[in-house]
Formats: sequence, C-alpha cells, structure tokens
Amino acid sequence: MKYLLLIFVGFVFFFSCKKDKVGYEPTPYQLEIPSHFPAMQIPEDNPMTVEGVELGRFLFYETKLSGDNSMSCATCHAPSSAFSDPNQFSTGIEGIEGRRNSMALINLGWNDFFFWDGRAKTLEEQILLPVKDPIEMHETWPRAMSKLNGDVDYRNRFYKAFGTDKADSSHAAKAIAQFLRTMISGKSKFDVMYKFENNIPLSASEQAIYSSITASEWGGYDLFRSLNGADCFHCHNGPLMQVKKFSNNGLDATFTDLGRGEVTGNSNDNGKFKVPTLRNIEFSAPYMHDGRFSTLDDVINHYSHFIQISPTIDPLIEFAGQGGVQLDAQEKDLIKQFLLTLSDEEFINNPAFKAP
Amino acid sequence: MRNSIKIIVLGLIFLTSCKEKDKLEPEEEIIGNYVNIEVQPVYDTEDLYLDSVYTTQEGYKIKFTDIKFYMEDIKNVSTQFSDAGLFDYRTRGTLLSRVQGKGSNYMNLSANIGVGPAVNHNDPSAFPNSSMLNIINANDMHWNWSPGYIFLKIEGKADTIPDATTSLNHTIVYHAGLDVNLQTISFTNITWNKVGNEETFRLKLDMAKFLNGTQTIDVKDEFSTHSMGGQEALTLKIMENFKEALEPY
Ligand code: HEC
Ligand code: HEC
Repeated sequence: MKYLLLIFVGFVFFFSCKKDKVGYEPTPYQLEIPSHFPAMQIPEDNPMTVEGVELGRFLFYETKLSGDNSMSCATCHAPSSAFSDPNQFSTGIEGIEGRRNSMALINLGWNDFFFWDGRAKTLEEQILLPVKDPIEMHETWPRAMSKLNGDVDYRNRFYKAFGTDKADSSHAAKAIAQFLRTMISGKSKFDVMYKFENNIPLSASEQAIYSSITASEWGGYDLFRSLNGADCFHCHNGPLMQVKKFSNNGLDATFTDLGRGEVTGNSNDNGKFKVPTLRNIEFSAPYMHDGRFSTLDDVINHYSHFIQISPTIDPLIEFAGQGGVQLDAQEKDLIKQFLLTLSDEEFINNPAFKAP
Repeated sequence: MRNSIKIIVLGLIFLTSCKEKDKLEPEEEIIGNYVNIEVQPVYDTEDLYLDSVYTTQEGYKIKFTDIKFYMEDIKNVSTQFSDAGLFDYRTRGTLLSRVQGKGSNYMNLSANIGVGPAVNHNDPSAFPNSSMLNIINANDMHWNWSPGYIFLKIEGKADTIPDATTSLNHTIVYHAGLDVNLQTISFTNITWNKVGNEETFRLKLDMAKFLNGTQTIDVKDEFSTHSMGGQEALTLKIMENFKEALEPY
C-alpha cells in the first residue's frame, strides 16, 4: 500500500501543473532592429520564435508546396535578386506567365498591405495565396500539408515551433511570416547617410563607411529629395525608403492593369500601385509592377521625360505637365549613384536567409 | 489506510485544481470609456468627399485628393489628452485622436496645429509605436531630414479655366511645416457627445473657408508650397487659413 501511495504522490507531482505538451518549449527570437528603425509590430497570435523562423526558412525553400514539387517561394523570390525574380514575369508550374513582376521581400514586417494592389492585409494572409494560385505554385493547402506531415522531420519542426502534431496551412503561413519578418535590411551606405542627417550617433564601423561616401553620392541624395531636382522623396522616404500608399507614378495614360482600382472597385484608384521600397534596388531589376524597365537608367528616364498624364496621376509627380523632372545626363548619373547606396550586401548575402 | 485515502483525496484535489484554474479563469474584459476627437471635412454646407468636385468662389473646379494634419500636445492645462493626433481623411476617416478617459476631464483643450519645436526635430523612429509621431504612423508626414514633420498636407487638382468643360489638370500641393509656421488652437466648454462608452468631440474643417477665409488663396497662382525659401508667405497663409477653417461642429 505504501508503495502504491508513493507512486501516486510521485504521479501527482509529475502531472499536476505541468505544461500541456512535453518538449514544446519554443525559444523567443530576438529581432535585430537597426537603431534608426521603429519597433516592429508582431501579431499577438504569432510571436517570433527561433523554431518558427527556422521552420519558415525551410518552407520558403520547400518545393513540396507546389503541385509538381518543382517550385518554391524562392523560385520567384531569389536571394541574389533581393528576393525578387530577374524575369519580367514569373512563370508558374503550369508554364503560364503571370501579369506582374515579382516583388522584392525586404523589411516586410513594417508593411501594412501586400502585393502591388495591396489586396492582402497581413503577411500570414498573403502567404496562403501563391501556393493555391493556379498560375503560380498551383497546389491545394491540404495536399501540400499532407506531403509535409508525411515527413517526420517536418512533423518535428512543426511540433517544436507550434506544439501541434496536426499542422495545417495556418501554421505554415505563420512560420513563413516569422521568417520574412527577420529579413531586415538596414545596413547600406544610405543608412549611414540617413543617420548622419538625423543626428543619430554613428558606430566606429559606420564612421568608416561615412568617410567612404563620395561627393556624387551625397549630390545624388540631395537631388533625390530636392523639389526642383528629382523630387523622388515624396514617395520613397524614411528609413524604409517607401511611404505607405498607393500611387500612380505616370507610367500610362490608359491602364491595362487597374491595380488598386481592381481591389476597391473605385475608379479613383485606377492605375495606382503600392509604392515599393528602393532598398537593394540594384539587385531587383526589372522594375515597376509589370517589370517594364530593365535598368535603373530606364526608370530615371521615365521620371525625367516620359511621364504620362491620366486622371489619377499623383499630384506629387509635380512636373508631370512638362513630362517629368527633366534631369540632364550628369544629374541622372548622380541619382543612379545615390540609388546604388541603397545596396546592402550583408542582407543579400546573409546566410540566415539562404536555402537551409 | 485512512491516511492514505486522505492523501489520495488531497492529491486528486491538487491535480484537478490546477487544471480548473487554467480553464476556468474568467476572460477579464476591461470595459473602458473612450474619448474621441473627430474632424468632419465640409465644403461650405455639405460634407466633403475626397475626389469629388467642388466649385470655388472664383468659379474654378476643385477636387481634394488628400487632407492630412497633425494636432500635437493636446491637453487640458496639465492633463494630457494625447501626445499627438494625426488626421488622414483617406486612410483613417474622420478620426483625429482616440484615447481612454472621460470627457469631463477635458472640458477645455489646447493643442498645436503641427508639431511643436520640443519634439519636431527628434529621431522619428524613437517614439513609441503607439505614438502618431513614430515614423511608421507619420509615414509621408515627415521630411527625411532636419526640418522635421509636415504639419499639414493638402493635395488636389483644379480646373482654373472657367468654361463648360471640366479638366482637372492643375495640380495643387500644399505641404506646410517649419517651426515658424506652427499654430496653436484652443477650445473651451467642450460638449462631449456620449454614446455608450464613447464620448466624442466633433470638429468641422471647412475647405471653402480654407480657400476664402480672412485671407484668400487663389489656387490658380498659389497652387504649391513645400515650405521652402521663397514660399514663406503662402505657407503661413495656408497654416493661418487652416486654423480658421477648423472649428467645433
Ligand atoms: C510564380 C512566382 C511566385 C511564387 C512561386 C511566389 N511568389 Fe510571391 N510574388 C510573386 C509576384 C508576381 C508578386 C506580385 C503579385 C501581385 O502584386 O499581384 C509577389 C508578391 C509577394 C509578396 C508581397 C510583397 C509586398 O511587398 O507586398 C510576398 C510577401 C510574397 N510574394 C511572398 C511569397 C511567398 C511566401 C511565397 C511562397 C509561399 C511566394 N511569394 C511565392 C511571385 C511569386
Ligand atoms: C508620386 C509618388 C512617386 C514619386 C515622386 C516617385 N516614385 Fe518611384 N515609384 C512610385 C510608385 C507608385 C512605384 C510603383 C509603380 C508601379 O509599378 O506601377 C514606383 C516605382 C519606382 C521604382 C521601381 C521599384 C521596383 O521595385 O520595381 C524605382 C526604381 C523608382 N520608383 C525610383 C524613383 C525615383 C528615382 C524617383 C525620383 C526621380 C521616384 N521614384 C519618384 C511612386 C513614386
């Protein structure tokens, strides 16, 4: 009887207030947020964990998420292209070309809407879409998840990240969202210029970068935000180098792709697209929602001379009446040199963002 | 034997009590009282909508595509209402500021229209995420370098040729800022409208009055300011007219 009692007491101790699942102890992930960036708002139902981020990385490079196991997110969001696609349009597994250029995935944790037309409001929601898109990965989530759940390694990873042995698409989306939130770019030459301008102290290594900034790069920065110069900063601004809005930057006089207007059904939104970040712009060619420009020179020429007027053109394309900001050859070169200061090699080459 | 049973019973209670606690803890919901300041843009006597066309005193056609402004350091003497409210008609509607509290604590309010020199030149990333001064919330209401915040932004398009056709191809851009242009405003004996747990103080912003107040803004010639050198007079007029156009509804 005494033994029984002892065993029972032991049993009580062991089970009384234990956590629900044995072995589910995710490690909080500490985001490294650059000092001149604001804090990142993390959704309450998807806290960052080391296990979640790692699983997200595996999933981002996982071809099992596509119908014929040939395509992963990284197929259209390649690290060397600032996580975008060097092709004008991406081709899905059925061989069908999409109609828009893939977007660079940079600092998305600070974004409030996703896609060129902003049709997704959260990353978690956005991530569910490419998998089931028939002209992209063309796979159903239940099938994709059953492929993953058939793999003991993934079962373990899902368990460690979310404490579940019945992982579904919401867990996959959460993990990928966590991974995307770690993809922070804030260590370019531009960042040192930004900090200097805003009287934010520079570290020793930043001081060294500061002394390497050329007169042309500073000149390009001045021109970029000069009202009588290139006048770019109204839309590409702040530490993220983008403002949160939809805008028509004068690409077309009539629209084949209505952009934001397609989502809202409001004709005042026709031809408006999400203002993209200019970070790592050197790597993310081709440019614009339809990838119509293959070089930065083409982009600069557009803003200089080829602005098309339409009813929804942004009033902040201020020299639209004259066709653009009319930069001369030397000024165009300065703008380009400035745009190249937005390259962040550490971000592009970060092993933590590459295929596991 | 009796002791054993006692221990077993105790043990069982211990076991279940923990579980119960986990499950039955009532979801505590804090029901608070909120106070809101709202701004309804109007054009003379009618509610104003972005992208809709109105006629000015001069007979020009005009549409507004954006109306945004900062009201900062909103307080009743020493009781702070909010560090800053940001009005953005397109993305946030009529709400200027919403905080937890009671209207009776704010029968009088004073504030800056714009952002006062005490915080205007601080690092815009250093404000808490909840503050409208944080660069994430400020968004395009901050100049990327030392001048600081844009106090107010009015953008639109006009047709300044009074004929039968309407072609709104004349761009209007007013971006006002800089410490010297800061305005202050105050309201006394405020009426808070209470519905449920919400109390609201409503203001109206009359854009017709903005264009034709004590001073007149002629959008044909006075269509652009970025608060730069040479634009001082128009910038100040924009700020002063705006202040005049904002009053309790
Ligand atoms: C077939 C190519 C393709 C694949 C595969 C693909 N994407 Fe994309 N991605 C695109 C295109 C094209 C866009 C822009 C689409 C639009 O705006 O309509 C985009 C946009 C996005 C955006 C929005 C970025 C922003 O700034 O708003 C995110 C985030 C994203 N993709 C993540 C993913 C993830 C995660 C996966 C894998 C689950 C994935 N993509 C798979 C082509 C692809
Ligand atoms: C009125 C707002 C506005 C202004 C001013 C503006 N842009 Fe843009 N920019 C946009 C929008 C919106 C897009 C995306 C348009 C699209 O794809 O339809 C864009 C796209 C770009 C792209 C392509 C990014 C990509 O990922 O494809 C580059 C590069 C660029 N802009 C550079 C500039 C430069 C340089 C200037 C100044 C000469 C400038 N922009 C001025 C709004 C603006």
